Amino acid sequence: MTAGAAAASRPVPARPGRWPAAGRLLRLELRHNAMLWLLPVAAALFWLTTYRKVMAMPPLWNLRAPAMQPGALLAFVLPVAGAAAWTGSREGRRRTTDLVTIAARPRWARLLAAWAATTCWALVGYLGCVAVLYGVTARQATWGGPLWWPVAVAAASLPALSALGFAAGTLAPGRFTAPLAAIGAFFVLALSTQLIHGSQSYWQISPVVTKPWDIGPDAGMATFYSYLPDLPIAQVMFLAGLTVAVMGALALPGGPGGTWLRRPAAAITAAGLLAAGTAVALAGTGKLDAHGMIAIPALHDAASDRPVRYTPVCSHARVPVCLNPAYAGYLPATAAALAPVLTEVAGLPGAPARVSQAAATYRQGAGNSVSIGLAGPAISGSPPVFHLLLLDQLPGPTMTTGALAGALRSSTGPAIVADVIGGGRSPSPAQRAVIAALLIAAGQPVHGPPPGSPPAGREPGMAPPVLAPGSPAFAAARRFAALPAPARHAWLVRHIAALRAGQVTLAQLP
Amino acid sequence: MTAGGVRGATAAGAGGPPSVRPRPGGLRLVRLHAASRRIPAAATAIVACAIGLRIALAVGSWDSYGALQLPLVFEAGAAAVITVTTASPLGEPERVTGRWLPFLRLATTLALTVAAAGALAAAGTGAHLAGGALDVLRNVAGMTGIGLLCAAALGGGLAWIGPVGYLVAGAYALYTQWHGPVLATPWLWPARPPHDPGAAICAGVVFAVGLAVITVRGARDPAGE
Repeated sequence: MTAGAAAASRPVPARPGRWPAAGRLLRLELRHNAMLWLLPVAAALFWLTTYRKVMAMPPLWNLRAPAMQPGALLAFVLPVAGAAAWTGSREGRRRTTDLVTIAARPRWARLLAAWAATTCWALVGYLGCVAVLYGVTARQATWGGPLWWPVAVAAASLPALSALGFAAGTLAPGRFTAPLAAIGAFFVLALSTQLIHGSQSYWQISPVVTKPWDIGPDAGMATFYSYLPDLPIAQVMFLAGLTVAVMGALALPGGPGGTWLRRPAAAITAAGLLAAGTAVALAGTGKLDAHGMIAIPALHDAASDRPVRYTPVCSHARVPVCLNPAYAGYLPATAAALAPVLTEVAGLPGAPARVSQAAATYRQGAGNSVSIGLAGPAISGSPPVFHLLLLDQLPGPTMTTGALAGALRSSTGPAIVADVIGGGRSPSPAQRAVIAALLIAAGQPVHGPPPGSPPAGREPGMAPPVLAPGSPAFAAARRFAALPAPARHAWLVRHIAALRAGQVTLAQLP
Repeated sequence: MTAGGVRGATAAGAGGPPSVRPRPGGLRLVRLHAASRRIPAAATAIVACAIGLRIALAVGSWDSYGALQLPLVFEAGAAAVITVTTASPLGEPERVTGRWLPFLRLATTLALTVAAAGALAAAGTGAHLAGGALDVLRNVAGMTGIGLLCAAALGGGLAWIGPVGYLVAGAYALYTQWHGPVLATPWLWPARPPHDPGAAICAGVVFAVGLAVITVRGARDPAGE
């Protein structure tokens, strides 16, 4: 060895106050971490699987934020678990385990730095993706603010995934470890939800769950009532416990210089397992609440059940249509779709003085089925208010504004008229004829659903009455509809009470 | 592998001194090449994937999503394992040792791909394997092709990134059949029916290109890995 080489190998004295040893180690790991090179893959997957899907949804925070959580997780799970396993298996792959055993730092400290670097890069990438998605949504949304619990749950998942992958890489180093750990993590995360049956399932602890499983995009929740943090709290608790337990377990084998760690590591591992187990038990006590979210009694804050205060946005018409400001974008189409029917019934005794959007009420059915509808009667109050449930408040594919307007015309319109005329589910012939006449006058068909209308079953209102052409009821309806609007209105004002009581016959219709 | 084994392999591969017993020498070369690429471990992992698929099909009651996505997960696992075998522990020196290396790379990759497709298809025999054997063959070949291209670009050690990343894209494409916007491009072949010619061509082209690249050039392996 030359003198120069000897000089070069002399340890460089630490400069106090600049970077502590742990910080320098972390900085080194950050500079050479595999996750950094996998960030473009994660970002591309996020764009393909999450950003495109979420941006195709209406700009509602309660719709986009919960959809972001599982999407982001599934986009990041493979890169994070794979990179962590790759990093964790580094010493074994390169056969440098013995070489680094003589380092001044305990093995666990070195492992912790490598794991922390992987997790840091994963969080940086994830938060960058979320920032873009939330930034665009903030510009488009008409009301409300970002929901942070979905962001927190997905963020808490990344250290846990990283810890699991890292542990796999450390304990079973090899070239196959990284892909198998990544695919195993994806398998568990993506397909564990197959085991969810009903809202009282322990498997809801899976961080891809944000609401009752299997109901798809659900715009009805977290608009009229706040986003319940019960399940997210349990999920974060589980993920944090899992992370602590796994990282603590890595210190248990000890090794030279690391034996003093065993006892605290065992305590940390036990505490982590306890937290994770408690969280799973709590998730099993969850119950679908009336507002569409999972409530966990032990974590539930009664204040969350209070309705969110808002000032509705209303159309300027004789019978105004009022919507939650989050749905302000739907107001022109909704008002235009209901205007013809509201014009026909305006001023009649018992007719709505206002149409107001209402919150959906949820009820757990068998298995994963959930029934959703209005809490009370469609028309109530004094002056009467018609409570409207927009189709987009129901689970299912998101509708375009045009499709929504068409569905409102074909289902909510008849429901408004039927509620005013009376007869419920089995109207008398005269009631059927008058309902049909008012719909004809409003420009709606009464001999079958309009072409292109959505399949039956999703409409919150009712199907239009179908009258067979040539039947006496059809003829009476055509005759009544042909009357001038003032004459029709005047007759209804005089006879609405008798008509509602079922005391008017077809022959008595003008 | 011992240093002696490597020396033996490289000497035989270089074709330097004429082999006295060509057949045993060739067999030894194949065996050493397989050992250097962890082919036995890869075969074990592929069998494990097939057993895992069989157990999952037999035990689980999968809904529509799960039934479609389940085989894809195991196909991606097998493809990732195949592509990782392209990593050479010897690095650059191995490339100058003889003319047999490309043929060995071609043979091992082809053999593992066929074995993986066969094992996974066999695992679905008698069970409801979504897409059937044709789907398995197309998906395994296509994802292996992606992995081989990654091996040429990133190195054999990190070649798993391709199949693993594609798994998410493929699973999402399957998901969009229920929840739009629909992804129907044949380049996302897992979401296409098994008899779709466009998807089969795309997967076949990717596999052929990947195989050609890996045969001719081998994986881009840093010496340290």
